[in-house]
Amino acid sequence: MDKAMNIPKGEGTPTTTLSWTSLSGITRRRYLLFILLVAPAFLLRLTTAAYPILQTIYLGFTNLSILKGTNDFVGLDNYVAMGSNIGVRSATGFTIVFILATTILDLMIGMMIALLLNTNFRGLTFARTINLIPWAIPTIVAGYAFRWLLDDQFGLLPFWVTQLTGLRPAIFINPLASQIAVILVHAWKDAPFMAIILLAGMQGIPEDLYDAARVDGANAWQRFWGLTVPLIMPLTITMGLFRLVWSLGSFDLVYGLTFGGPGVATSVLALQVFREGILFFKFGFASAISVILLILVAIIGVVGLWLFRKSEVTY
Amino acid sequence: MTMNKPLAKISWRRTINSIPVYLAFIVFTILVLLPVYWMTRSAFAVSTDLIKLPLVYFPQPTLRNFATLLEQVPFDLYLRNSLLFALSTALITLLVSYLAAYAFARIRFPGSGVLLWILLLTMALPDIGTIVPLYQILKTLHLSDSIAGITLILTSTLTPFTVWVLVSFIKQVPYEIEEAAILDGASLPQILWHILLPVTVPGLVTMGLINFVNAWNNLLYPLSFTTSPSAKTLSVAITEIYAGFSPWGKPWELIMAVGVTMTVPIVILVLLSQRSIVRGLTGGAIK
Repeated sequence: MDKAMNIPKGEGTPTTTLSWTSLSGITRRRYLLFILLVAPAFLLRLTTAAYPILQTIYLGFTNLSILKGTNDFVGLDNYVAMGSNIGVRSATGFTIVFILATTILDLMIGMMIALLLNTNFRGLTFARTINLIPWAIPTIVAGYAFRWLLDDQFGLLPFWVTQLTGLRPAIFINPLASQIAVILVHAWKDAPFMAIILLAGMQGIPEDLYDAARVDGANAWQRFWGLTVPLIMPLTITMGLFRLVWSLGSFDLVYGLTFGGPGVATSVLALQVFREGILFFKFGFASAISVILLILVAIIGVVGLWLFRKSEVTY
Repeated sequence: MTMNKPLAKISWRRTINSIPVYLAFIVFTILVLLPVYWMTRSAFAVSTDLIKLPLVYFPQPTLRNFATLLEQVPFDLYLRNSLLFALSTALITLLVSYLAAYAFARIRFPGSGVLLWILLLTMALPDIGTIVPLYQILKTLHLSDSIAGITLILTSTLTPFTVWVLVSFIKQVPYEIEEAAILDGASLPQILWHILLPVTVPGLVTMGLINFVNAWNNLLYPLSFTTSPSAKTLSVAITEIYAGFSPWGKPWELIMAVGVTMTVPIVILVLLSQRSIVRGLTGGAIK
């Protein structure tokens, strides 16, 4: 009996059969058990997420640098210095363009792939299977594979362009072309994942809704815009928000594809944090850039919640 | 006879209608597989075949690049480190998350909903944003430059999503089975191990696979926190081979050989268990 009392009661459980759980001693043990079970997860998050955030905010106000040996409180100096730091200024601008462009592209291409994978055709299983490949390939490997695929001398795509038009495109010495390449390769890597989520959302829509629309004479185009789009809108917005935040921290792809180059044209804030913090050991300055990232996450969160509420009210 | 004509007409129209679908299918397949083909083609070629114009589409295949890697870098060591890092991260994350998920799914605790929400909220944090304090923490714990250190950090990063998905898996299991076990006098470890574990195996396998892929592919933590070959992973090795040879041109055949080595096990794993993985990826987002 004593052993049995250890056992917790779950949600949605009929409370009638095991009335002894109402005893206060049992309740206390139940709470203790809960705390014990979640303790490892919360200890991990406290030490390697919560505390580091606070520490990052604090370090952002210091000039801690391992190589220079400085460690003083400098107030807002780091933030003032960012204003005149070309790397950070350029990275801030491109980061915002990058996260917006990749998120919109991800959603659009992801939707197109999801529509394809939601159609019946021979080869569907094959298509659904290879759709997982871009998700599974390590991002750094995708970065290098595309760097090589787009190589101006011996890359396949520039070679084809030269054969067709006689032009000799050199992508990675051109800032704009490099930026476009970073955004498109990012979409190649992540749109299939988006498609998996959107496809699951589409498959959750009851088939009789489509039957009813067909009876009413709606064509495929009208069924898509009138039914599919509004019904998966909350999911689309949620995933769009996740994608914005994930893209903010995206580091591997730029590291492999361009390393921020040419110059600082494709550098993102995440890469700047890595450069200043891990390569140059300027812990204070790197932390201040991290704080900018955290502020951007907070802004996205607030805007996102507002958008989400709106989408729920409308549909 | 009368039925034949309309039927033929319908199937003819079906063929016409399906042309855009097959076109989209072909474009999709080419776009997905083109970089994979290019990488594979280059990994199994001798370097001189890669710098010929016009380009050689199917060079004479060779394993020479992998032999070169074994000779020039401690490739077997990097491979072992990657495996160790990915396996231990996947397993420890499962253990930590399974315990927490059980508590969230089955134990009534005031504010447990808020606690789960807070745990999930920490997922919004960009990993790079806390890289400096994490570096300091690992130094303090004497865990920098070790597989244990990067395993600890990545386990923590992957735990919230894993808890989230496992909670929904555990909630799908009818409580009656556990209830019966409780009445029979089973203890909590017995319940977790003998009753719940067998029925939640699909969920555990799914999240184990996803986390293995995540850890195997992870670059940020090994790149930031490891400096010696005994702790570096393949993802770090590929960046070093890319950076190391720059003055004489990139050794693309070697870079792509590391790329293939990193991709093949993951792709095989994913293709063998695609249903399970898709269920895990969508398990949290849908419903």
